Amino acid sequence: MLIYDIWFLFIYMFFIGNLIFVSKNKHLLVVLLSLEFIVLSIFFFFLVLLMFIDYDMYMLMVFLVFSVCEGSLGLSILVSMIRSHGNDYFQSFSML
Amino acid sequence: MFFFILTNNNSNKMFFLFILFFSTLISISSNSWFGCWIGLEINLLSFIPLISNSKNLLSVETSLKYFLTQSLASINFLFMILIKFSLLKNFDMNNIISIMMNSSLLMKMGSAPFHFWFPNIVEGLSWMNNFMLMTWQKISPMILLSYYFNKNFLIFMIIMNLIIGSLGGLNQTSLRKLLAFSSINNLGWMIFSIMISENLWLFYFLIYSMMIFMMISLFFLMNMYFMNQLFINNMNFFIKMNLLINFLSLGGLPPFMGFMPKWIIINFLLINKFYFLTFIFMMTSLIIIYYYIRIIYSSFMFNYFKMKWMNLFMKNNMFLINLSSFISISSMILSTFIFM
Repeated sequence: MLIYDIWFLFIYMFFIGNLIFVSKNKHLLVVLLSLEFIVLSIFFFFLVLLMFIDYDMYMLMVFLVFSVCEGSLGLSILVSMIRSHGNDYFQSFSML
Repeated sequence: MFFFILTNNNSNKMFFLFILFFSTLISISSNSWFGCWIGLEINLLSFIPLISNSKNLLSVETSLKYFLTQSLASINFLFMILIKFSLLKNFDMNNIISIMMNSSLLMKMGSAPFHFWFPNIVEGLSWMNNFMLMTWQKISPMILLSYYFNKNFLIFMIIMNLIIGSLGGLNQTSLRKLLAFSSINNLGWMIFSIMISENLWLFYFLIYSMMIFMMISLFFLMNMYFMNQLFINNMNFFIKMNLLINFLSLGGLPPFMGFMPKWIIINFLLINKFYFLTFIFMMTSLIIIYYYIRIIYSSFMFNYFKMKWMNLFMKNNMFLINLSSFISISSMILSTFIFM
């Protein structure tokens, strides 16, 4: 039964990451960091799951590539926001 | 869409458009749920460069909101896939995991109750980007929804979609937001048609995307984004008729093309005794037709308020406009001639 206690860690990490994502922050970078934290928790979860299937970590690598792509896309949107607004505060959204 | 891209010297848009088409095919034809997730990620990666082109504040904010909601939804989807995989619940569709997976897919589609980003983003995009967002981006979440859905949860979501789509559009003056709420309402119909049969969903989706294409191309040619821009001095009669026909067809009024898929769904509902759901489908359609008609009915009266002075050069496109009117009117009648 000790092996199943680790699942609470994954769900806890995932839940905390989601909580920070949806909270009211001053900066956009905090939101992107919380997204990366969720990715980290999924990485850990995937690692432990794949250890039960004869250590085939190839899918984990593919997952890592895609989440890194997504993180860099978020950062590029942050850069374009700073170039047009001047900062990354959420309060400067006035259009929509 | 292709013509518009070619005229603006944007050949890199064609590249991202190709990857967008390919990502949907990856997602719906994969053998495992992980492949579906990969398709959704590539979809997000290729749609963001399509919408964040100019350097104004509006388009940056739009792409930011789109990125945040879609990435959250796909990350949640992946976590639920992993939990489903670890708990070995592959065939039981009546549990909390299917609810969570359906919720993340509904957030990807812009369906209620996760719809709050959708009118905001639609307000910030051009008409052609809106067309892609409203039609192509809905394909892969809906097909993924059909693989593992929770019936009771989805029926509740359908009711919310219908009500929010109909009541939300009542107070809008922007044409884009109006079509966004109409899209949310039609999502309700489409999700229900998934639960009937996938063939019916395909039929509804094709007719819906054809109707949306006709409306959006008309607004794109006239370059109109708001309702007060419809009050112009020399609006051609055929454009007014086309607008009326397309709006009524989108609302699902009988002789027009848009009635046919709704008719089949209502037929199924009544045969299987879903009376309360039929009532909600009918009443929300009524509200939608009301706010469509309210846009254009005054243009057919004699004392029409011509408040703006614009010259529209539509002579080159009159053939296409008349053709789309003809298709909208006659599709239902001509479809009965197929079997002769």
